[in-house]
Amino acid sequence: MTRALEKYIRPGVKSTPFCPGCGHGILMGLILRAIDDLKMEMKKMLFVSGIGCAAWIPSPHYNGDTLHTLHGRAIAFATGAKLYNPDLCVMVVSGDGDLSSIGGNHLIHAARRNIDLKVICANNMIYGMTGGQVASTTPKGSRTSTTGEGNPYRPFDLCKLVEGAGATYVARFSVTQPILLIQSIKKAILHKGFSFIDVLSPCPTQYGRRNRLDRPDEMMKDLIRRCILEEEIEGLTEEERAEKIITGEFLS
Amino acid sequence: MTGIKQVRLSGFGGQGVVLAGLLLGQAGVFDGKYISGSNSYGAQARGSGCKSEVIFSDGPVDFPHLTTADILVAMSQGAYDLYCQDVKKESGLILYDQGFVTPREDLRVKHLAIPATDVSIKRLKNKQAANIVFLGALIEVTHIVSPKAIRKAILVHVGERFQSLNLKALRVGMELGRKMDG
Amino acid sequence: MPSKWVKTPFPKGRYYFSGNEAAAEGAIAAGCRFYAGYPITPSSELMERMAVRLQEVGGVFIQMEDEIASISAVIGASWAGAKAMTATSGPGFSLMQESIGYAAFTETPCVIIDVQRAGPCTGQATKVGSGDIMQAKWGSHGDYQVIALSPWSSQEMYDLTLRAFNLSETYRVPTMVMADEAIGHLRETIQIPSRVEIFDRMKRKGRAPFDSEEEDGVPPMPSFGEGERLAVTGSTHDGFGFRKTDDPQVHARLVSRINKKILNHRRTIIETEDYLIEDAEIALITYGFTARTSLYVVKRLRKEDWKIGMLRLKTLWPFPDEAVAQLGKRVRKILVPEMNLGQVAGEVRKYVPCDVHSLTQTNGEVIRPDVLIETLRRM
Ligand SMILES: Cc1ncc(C[n+]2csc(CCOP(=O)(O)OP(=O)(O)O)c2C)c(N)n1
Ligand SMILES: [Mg+2]
Repeated sequence: MTRALEKYIRPGVKSTPFCPGCGHGILMGLILRAIDDLKMEMKKMLFVSGIGCAAWIPSPHYNGDTLHTLHGRAIAFATGAKLYNPDLCVMVVSGDGDLSSIGGNHLIHAARRNIDLKVICANNMIYGMTGGQVASTTPKGSRTSTTGEGNPYRPFDLCKLVEGAGATYVARFSVTQPILLIQSIKKAILHKGFSFIDVLSPCPTQYGRRNRLDRPDEMMKDLIRRCILEEEIEGLTEEERAEKIITGEFLS
Repeated sequence: MTGIKQVRLSGFGGQGVVLAGLLLGQAGVFDGKYISGSNSYGAQARGSGCKSEVIFSDGPVDFPHLTTADILVAMSQGAYDLYCQDVKKESGLILYDQGFVTPREDLRVKHLAIPATDVSIKRLKNKQAANIVFLGALIEVTHIVSPKAIRKAILVHVGERFQSLNLKALRVGMELGRKMDG
Repeated sequence: MPSKWVKTPFPKGRYYFSGNEAAAEGAIAAGCRFYAGYPITPSSELMERMAVRLQEVGGVFIQMEDEIASISAVIGASWAGAKAMTATSGPGFSLMQESIGYAAFTETPCVIIDVQRAGPCTGQATKVGSGDIMQAKWGSHGDYQVIALSPWSSQEMYDLTLRAFNLSETYRVPTMVMADEAIGHLRETIQIPSRVEIFDRMKRKGRAPFDSEEEDGVPPMPSFGEGERLAVTGSTHDGFGFRKTDDPQVHARLVSRINKKILNHRRTIIETEDYLIEDAEIALITYGFTARTSLYVVKRLRKEDWKIGMLRLKTLWPFPDEAVAQLGKRVRKILVPEMNLGQVAGEVRKYVPCDVHSLTQTNGEVIRPDVLIETLRRM
């Protein structure tokens, strides 16, 4: 992270807690770049997170108010704070397991209410913190510490889920698409209503090493290769399409 | 425990027993009494047996539920059968719906036959007002609350649409009560 | 602790309120301006009244998707500066426990009203019980304290809900009003005063919001958006909220302080009332609705020249150990009647040398005077 962003970091924070190759650290910087671009007042920003590696992205690192809650409950806590003080810009940054599994009900209900929260899901398709167990976002067939033979179930498409539930800004980008992702975060911040960004973030430690992508750079390269924009799908064969991850703004 | 009067209103769900109890208790509060009221709740209040109990006292009420009734209003046979034994002998009073409840003859309790349902169908064109007709009769006979207080209670707790019907039912009930007295 | 007298938002006077309605009014008078809840018998009327009243006084009401969300939203709102509450009954109270632990550990003021019904599990939803007393204290994991109060009348649903807010703000601790179905639904004459005394949380710019020089101190609590750059976390943290999940001293100190700040202030937190115990040889120790039965029975038996009195616990947690211990020294026998299998009786036994009998009733009904008298005669 460049010196220019230092003012957004809580004094006393010396390092980030993430593993080498983890995408969460990149996302941590990209969110701040979006905030910096918009000249947001950190004093009026509240960052809410649940439990997991991703929940550490804002807490305690960001120099606004941070509320590091319980596993799955970030959106519920955030709802209370936002409703009582609508002047706060409330951003929820948490993991895929946290937001979509244990907290899945809060996610769809907040989307239904179209409450003005900016929800950023750091999606590494795995339970990172607890040692790489299968998540509701793990691709079918992937190996995890609880699906040695490969995940037998389909993952959620989180964007479709929240869109169906009533979210009014929905996007998916990978940390390997930094420019687009920063743009998207800025739009989410400016959007009035429930905004959701599914951010693909590699986890070489827990996901990669079980799925033949052990080296950090391999996971990054894999994401770069697989993430495409909606408009690029055309002309791809069925087979090629199957392994792609479609990114872009789905609702804005 | 002097100065305590225990009233039990009973019937089946839908007869307005709970509302009648609420009005009676509220009127007692307006009269400056200490009141403790409780009633059937949940499925009971909608289903077969429904009751509402109001304790009137000049001072704070210790045990707030009914122990033995001084007054029982029975709007259905089922309620009568269930509660008629629970009324104070000699000093107690039972008001029952004439034509719908057949009283027992072996109880040493004063009974008054009030044709509340009949009258509310014939004179008020609305069976639902029988509860308030009973209240009117009860108040006239026992003076347990003042007429002014019960009218005020109706204005506080009954929606505007039904206020005049209820006030009329009260008057009709009080007339019935007067006939009983005389 | 700064307190102020304020005009009550509801006109002074005598009303005929159910306990649930009275509690809502007490909350509004205390300054509660945020409610999040989920419907559950027999507490729902409380939520329904809050929906109406918060709109009238310019507060925030929201019906959440479940009880976990409700208490979590309450905690979020509390940090945003609100006096906030929720109400529920057994099953919902169970769901709330993890977040109640969060509130205790992050020292978040909030009020939870549990209108207890007959458990366990879904039990008898419309019937009365008093089986959540231990859960109120021990329901979340780890060592923490809460405050729990026990109202015995509609009036006390008002008074103790108001007090719950005052205590919660003063000590920065989740505070519970352990009501029950019988009290929640009991309509009684209640007096709403013209003015009430309310306590607000202390704010001090720049001061550590999670530490105190005193080992039992209550730190000041700023709100989000005030520029204090708060870091709130349910992990072990230092005075400014930095995670300290490897430091044994920080953990021990924090756990110790959140316990001591309540236990060392027991004297001001705990309220009990005694009736006719001067010459009593037998005493009832009682709380909640059952205390009404108890008072009736004590007065009845006094007329038969029994030397009997009673101690009523208005505060259940922290447990009134001193009052109970003192009583235990004066009387020969104690009877604890309760609508559970002896939750408070067990606690009483820890503090008294005399015989402690327990009258337990778990049939979904209140303990009636004849049952209590019968038990006393047999003792
Ligand atoms: C109620 C509860 N259950 C389980 C846990 C254990 N736990 C901590 S983090 C976590 C998974 C986090 O996964 P995710 O949200 O995807 O974040 P990541 O670590 O992958 O970034 C779990 C299950 C917990 N803290 N609380
Ligand atoms: Mg994850």
